Amino acid sequence: MDDVLEEEGKALCPLRDVPSNGNHDDPLSYYQINDLIRAGVKDIDRYHEKITISLQPSSLAPNLMNLKLGVFSRDDLPLQYSRSVRVANDNTETYERVLEGTLGYSNPSNVEYLLGKIGVSDTQPPSLMRGLQSKHFLEEDFAKTIRKKQSASWALKCVRVGVDHFKSGRHVEAMNEYNKALEIDTNNVEALVARGALYANKGSLLKAITDFELALESCPTHRNAKKYLCQTLVERGGQLEEEEKLVTAEGLYRKALTLDNSFQDAKEALQKIELLIQKSLKLREEAAAKEVEKAKNVETSAEKIAKSKKKNRKHRRSSRGKKHQQRVSSRDNRSVADEEEEWYPAPPNTSASFLDQKSSVVRPFEGPERTEEYSQPRSKGRNHSYHSLSSVSTDAPDNSRFEDDPFDASPQRAEGSKGKGVCGEKTSDGDVNEREREGSRGQRKSQGQELQSGPQDVPSSLGKVKHRRMSSSSAGSEHSRKSDQYANDLPSQSHISTSRRSDSGKYGSTERGDKKGLNRGTRRSDGDYRSSTDTTRNGNGSSAEGNQKKELPTNLLDLFSQIAQFEKEKCVKPKSEFSFSKLLLSYVIKTIN
Amino acid sequence: METVSRLDSTPGGKRGPPAWDTETDSTREIKTHFRVCRFIMETGVKLGMRSVPVATACVLYHQFFQCVSVTVYEPYLVAMSCIYLAGKVEEQHLRTRDIINVCHRYFHSSSEPLACDGAFWDLRDSVVQCELLVLRQLNFHVSFQHPHKYLLHYLLSVKSLVNRHAWSRTPVAETTWALLRDCYHGTMCVRHAPQHIAIATLYLALLSYGVEVPVGEREWWQVLCEDVTKEHIDAIISDLLQLYDMEARCT
Repeated sequence: MDDVLEEEGKALCPLRDVPSNGNHDDPLSYYQINDLIRAGVKDIDRYHEKITISLQPSSLAPNLMNLKLGVFSRDDLPLQYSRSVRVANDNTETYERVLEGTLGYSNPSNVEYLLGKIGVSDTQPPSLMRGLQSKHFLEEDFAKTIRKKQSASWALKCVRVGVDHFKSGRHVEAMNEYNKALEIDTNNVEALVARGALYANKGSLLKAITDFELALESCPTHRNAKKYLCQTLVERGGQLEEEEKLVTAEGLYRKALTLDNSFQDAKEALQKIELLIQKSLKLREEAAAKEVEKAKNVETSAEKIAKSKKKNRKHRRSSRGKKHQQRVSSRDNRSVADEEEEWYPAPPNTSASFLDQKSSVVRPFEGPERTEEYSQPRSKGRNHSYHSLSSVSTDAPDNSRFEDDPFDASPQRAEGSKGKGVCGEKTSDGDVNEREREGSRGQRKSQGQELQSGPQDVPSSLGKVKHRRMSSSSAGSEHSRKSDQYANDLPSQSHISTSRRSDSGKYGSTERGDKKGLNRGTRRSDGDYRSSTDTTRNGNGSSAEGNQKKELPTNLLDLFSQIAQFEKEKCVKPKSEFSFSKLLLSYVIKTIN
Repeated sequence: METVSRLDSTPGGKRGPPAWDTETDSTREIKTHFRVCRFIMETGVKLGMRSVPVATACVLYHQFFQCVSVTVYEPYLVAMSCIYLAGKVEEQHLRTRDIINVCHRYFHSSSEPLACDGAFWDLRDSVVQCELLVLRQLNFHVSFQHPHKYLLHYLLSVKSLVNRHAWSRTPVAETTWALLRDCYHGTMCVRHAPQHIAIATLYLALLSYGVEVPVGEREWWQVLCEDVTKEHIDAIISDLLQLYDMEARCT
């Protein structure tokens, strides 16, 4: 605040500079003699000793815009001025008394504030003592610096203990130690790298990537961090490939390559995925052309089927029914559910002996099939290496587009809903689909694809199962895998399956393991922390499989019970399904024995 | 408490007796207190303490040793505890970990930071125990009026009296602040009233730079502080100058 000076004199305010306060009043009538007025100084004429003032707000400087011009009262006079007037008039007032009477005096932080106002620094305080001159103080003697160094060394100690735990396999304790280290010293590079390695080992690849990147931010030349990050990125890219997110995966591979040019796995993976992307694009174009033709043909029949399906459909598989319709209309319609389904591992190979034989027959096909997968870009460009070695069957008729034309006829009926459920695939086998759908109409609940043909067809369906399996293997696609899953699920669902096989996941994992072994073996360079990535990933897959699909018991008895259920449903809604099926089952067992 | 003597185990021994033994105990004590106060001021700067908490720490130290003998209690430990306590009193809380780190490095320069082991926890315990001891010794009267806020108000008032150019040419504010901080090396800070100390330092600074303050019926310092006399000012200034002399003798 500026000084208040008391001057004697006159100032002129022209009438035009007096704002009017009302529409009709004379502006001057607002003022009276002896009013205190606040006005802005417009002009100073030293020679004539004249001051011109104005009551217009525009006469004020911008920084004073908030001052109100016009009449104001004595109370609004600046505080210092009124205080000084009071003190001047009162002999008993002392500086000290006035000071103690001000509010700021009792403010605890007034020293800080006033020091700032005066312009002296308290953090680099001045001194006249020779020894206290600021140039004598070294930065590393300051508390902050020492604390940082100390935190880093304490954190490092924790990390060492953690790595010990990790090497002995005590992952939980290791994680605790790493977290402790990071609490002591956030963004400690060693702790981040170690924790990232632990995450990657466990399979939480995204968390691992985050940790490595954070570590590289603070220390861009950390050898291990780079190495591990490359590996984790490539692995994550692999995961994304399986999820069909080819572009993202490609991005990750590129990133890994920029980090480390010599990383062989990344280069290979990048090349492969570029090929894949190209192929998938091509295939998509071709398929789009076909789709346009087929769509017209299949429409009407699809409508019929849809109606009939709705009649018989039970809730549980309603989603699959939708998929059927979707597939008819748009081949490329990839629903999220599809993608989710892709994660379901192949059914476990826990089948009865005859089914095992089938699967053993099937396997030899898989080898060539796998390569064929790569060479034949599919509409979805999926890169699934997972075959369904499941015992039960088989493929969607869609697979016939690949190799199993000879098998087309037989698998069709059995495939039915299975094929549909698998993926929105080509309608090149539109007719086949049609048949399947009709057959599967009654299958909604039980969804025993093998049972479409009715109980009397059981033996033949078994034979067909064999055929189907052949075709599925030949097609070697995820479709078969999925359809197998469905097929396997159905029997399990039909009876109170307490036999939820937890090893289905494992089976799937072994499947994947084989496949992965083929394709990705070269990528695993540093087995340091990557011991159980496979199993963990498969674990993920199996957990994803979860809700909808149950485990897949594939023995004969299950089939029979399913048959029984189907029969019942066809005729009447039975109240005691299980009892009837048990009867049938026992009969069958007797006949066998 | 014995653990702190590990801190002071430098062979030269800052507290070691000088070659000639003509010094009296009291002189030696004064030197010790000077050194320890210097230690407090340095530590305060390294910890980022403001002027007022540092002043509180020094006053606590002086008042503690006015009642007890320096041979019984380790002065550096008491100083560390005074720093810790002053931080709490003046609302600039310091962590014992930081105090211990800085003090350890003061005695063992260029050493590695302490590990989080038993010795560290012992040191920490010592500091905390000594803090309680200081509190009890001072009957829990740990809140003081310091000259700092008076000095700042006086500075602002005198600034408005003095010619603006003269003020901007001379670093009066920094000098008075430096003089005030240096007061705390000795016991003069507890022997004089805070307002008087403020007036005296300001007087000395203005005198040193030859800044003219307009005179009226009374001197400016008479106006600012009713009960201060020229004698007071002179006494304070002479005490202050003795402290600067002592620096040459002690360090």
